[in-house]
Amino acid sequence: MKKTLLALLVTAGAAQANAMSYEFDVTLKGYDGDATSSVAYSGQIARHALHNSLKKVVSQGDQTRMLMYLSGKEEGRIILDPASKEGFAIKQSQVDELSKGKDLLSSAYDGVITGWPGNPTAQELLQQWVELAANSKQGYDPVNGYDYTQLISKFAMGAVFYNKAVNHYLEEKLEADQHPNNEAYKEGVPYTGKEHVWDEAFGYFGAPAHGLELTPNEVVQITKQNPEYFAKADANGDGVVDLKSEMAFAHAYYAASIDASSDTTYFHTIMQAFVDGRQLISKANGERLTDEQRGELKGYAATIATAWQQVIAEAAFKYAGSVYADLEKIAIIEEAHGDVSKAFRDYVKHWGELKGFALSLEAAGRDLGKAQASLDRLIGFSPVLFGDMQVAAYDGKGGFVQTNAGIMQEYKLNMIKVQNLLAQHFDLKAKLKDKTGGMSAVLEQINTAGKSAEND
Amino acid sequence: MLENIVAWLGDELAFAGSSLLDTSKRVSVWYLASALLFAGALLTIRYGRQGWLRLQPYLSWRVWFHRSARTDYALWLVNRLLLALLIPKALTQAVWISWLYFYWQEHGFRDLQLGWSTSVVMVLFTLCYFLIDDFSRFFVHWCMHKSPWLWVFHQVHHSAKVLTPFTVFRTHPVEGLLFFLRSMVSQSFVISVFLVAFPNQVSLWQIYGVLVTTFLFNVFGANLRHSGVALSYGPRIEKWLISPAQHQIHHSVARHHYDRNFGVVLAIWDRLFGSWHAGHDDQAIRFGTQKAIDDMGMIGQWSQPFKDIQRLLRDRIKHRQMWLKQFSQKNAPHD
Repeated sequence: MKKTLLALLVTAGAAQANAMSYEFDVTLKGYDGDATSSVAYSGQIARHALHNSLKKVVSQGDQTRMLMYLSGKEEGRIILDPASKEGFAIKQSQVDELSKGKDLLSSAYDGVITGWPGNPTAQELLQQWVELAANSKQGYDPVNGYDYTQLISKFAMGAVFYNKAVNHYLEEKLEADQHPNNEAYKEGVPYTGKEHVWDEAFGYFGAPAHGLELTPNEVVQITKQNPEYFAKADANGDGVVDLKSEMAFAHAYYAASIDASSDTTYFHTIMQAFVDGRQLISKANGERLTDEQRGELKGYAATIATAWQQVIAEAAFKYAGSVYADLEKIAIIEEAHGDVSKAFRDYVKHWGELKGFALSLEAAGRDLGKAQASLDRLIGFSPVLFGDMQVAAYDGKGGFVQTNAGIMQEYKLNMIKVQNLLAQHFDLKAKLKDKTGGMSAVLEQINTAGKSAEND
Repeated sequence: MLENIVAWLGDELAFAGSSLLDTSKRVSVWYLASALLFAGALLTIRYGRQGWLRLQPYLSWRVWFHRSARTDYALWLVNRLLLALLIPKALTQAVWISWLYFYWQEHGFRDLQLGWSTSVVMVLFTLCYFLIDDFSRFFVHWCMHKSPWLWVFHQVHHSAKVLTPFTVFRTHPVEGLLFFLRSMVSQSFVISVFLVAFPNQVSLWQIYGVLVTTFLFNVFGANLRHSGVALSYGPRIEKWLISPAQHQIHHSVARHHYDRNFGVVLAIWDRLFGSWHAGHDDQAIRFGTQKAIDDMGMIGQWSQPFKDIQRLLRDRIKHRQMWLKQFSQKNAPHD
């Protein structure tokens, strides 16, 4: 009896261990190579390394180097971040060690972004910003209120990673005629079409393969390369953190960081859906997926897409709260005739983060309806600046046209509206730095109770 | 274009139909039935088996298919469509509340930091929300009767010759718009104040997604108010809560019943304004305004108020001209 119980426990444990990590065997029929794993998303990790490095160089203001990490494909590019540091060794130091010939720009959304003057595509916008950043003081433009490091980084994550995963791999590529599961993704590789499609989406999310074994805080600390969490990151215990499978990037980091500060479970929800979906594909054992299987897979894809979108909206929500708080600080300092330059710098930084995340929401071809227009108008093309001015247009010669936007402090009201809109439209739960006093929840109650147009 | 309109009409009508099962709507079958049970039980206690006979007006097809009742149904459905167009879309509750919430804070009103538990705040908020909602309904209703400019629209509601639960929807669209604004203004006020005073603690006490007071009001026979079933709560309770019998007095044609019992749930407002009147199980009341509008169909109900307003305006202008004439005669230069 004891033995049976033990055997059961061991089997259960093994099954669980198997389900915990994003590791899957080769199922491709007729494959006769040496590979034992069918998982591959190094191209996506290379783009994460490019994004992290781009963020570093924007704040240095060197256009050539920015373009190298945005649109270059050349060999020999060094990974500026994440780089090895004391107590946190990284296995790779060059982008080529991850994948060769990759760039960010060509994978960015090519649809129109309505929230920026001139309706550029996401690709055009990223290029425009790099150019403008090069003409600014280390990525900071105090005249128009732009922090290009934040704008470029936050928006690139949406325009490349979120767009590619949600708009591309988890959407059209799941159709029956696209990369079927009974064929190799391409000649010579050890993975099927659908396996690779799913892996690429997972790669863009940016979670470590053993993400389900980690707490949200551990994921956050791994991204921050906190030496105390090195052992948590180094899943295979080889003494170095492999960027291909052990590091946390981009939205995976933001999902975990929101979860770590609230009782949400975005990170594990997305991670679990990725693992479950991949398991479903593996279980098909190299056969073509039935319509029913694809239906189930689309269910996992929908879970991922919804939660991913919520993560971005939660981040925008939080930064709208920061912008509000910065304006309060500015008012206090102004009243005391103090030096506002630092508070203004924070204001511009947080606005860049807010705008970058808000624009990301429109960079994946998903219909946001009226919310998109409202977000665009409420946030505007720039923060409201001293003198109550705000950017209203792009003059096409590298400059911006500003107009009077009403009282600077009243921009706080816009932030309240932004938070409400985000909370209601995307059904947010964490709502960090809520400046509305919990208004959206009350509004929801009132709306379900119904407004009455009759008396008695 | 036409397809869209047809689809929209279909949706709106289906939505109206769904009210019949929706616990947040007074005319849902649940509340229609609960009113019957409540009245049946109370009247049986009071009058034994005879008590059930008093429910007859609530169940009589003559009442439900009366011409006046059919006008109620028509107004209910068509007003829904009209209000969907009339109610300003941009002026949402969220916009109002956000602005007020911001306004209070800009003027120095801040988090009270009283350290009260969330359940205490919930009860307090629910209570204030209810009181303000009930008072604002009373007050707007009072104005509707006191101002001739508003009465012309409100007479539509009073032109009902028989009362059915659907008479609550027998209103002129202009009145519907006013009551929509009333609910927006009063709700926005109380919500915004509480959000500032008790941030992240504000919520309504609800039962089945309905405000607890509305739920109790509906369960305990709100639908009887517009019915021929005279049900008094007794003199003691009626001083605090408006009974169906009291509201029926409000609809009475009798002169001594004019401008009585404007309240919805609470009777205290009527007592404060001197318009309170007790109800009685044996009261015999005729409903209506005793004007031509009582016999008009839907179109008449819509148009008559505008005709009356024209008349009011004409009278006003005439009056003014007379006054001006007098004035100019008095000040005419003497030769």
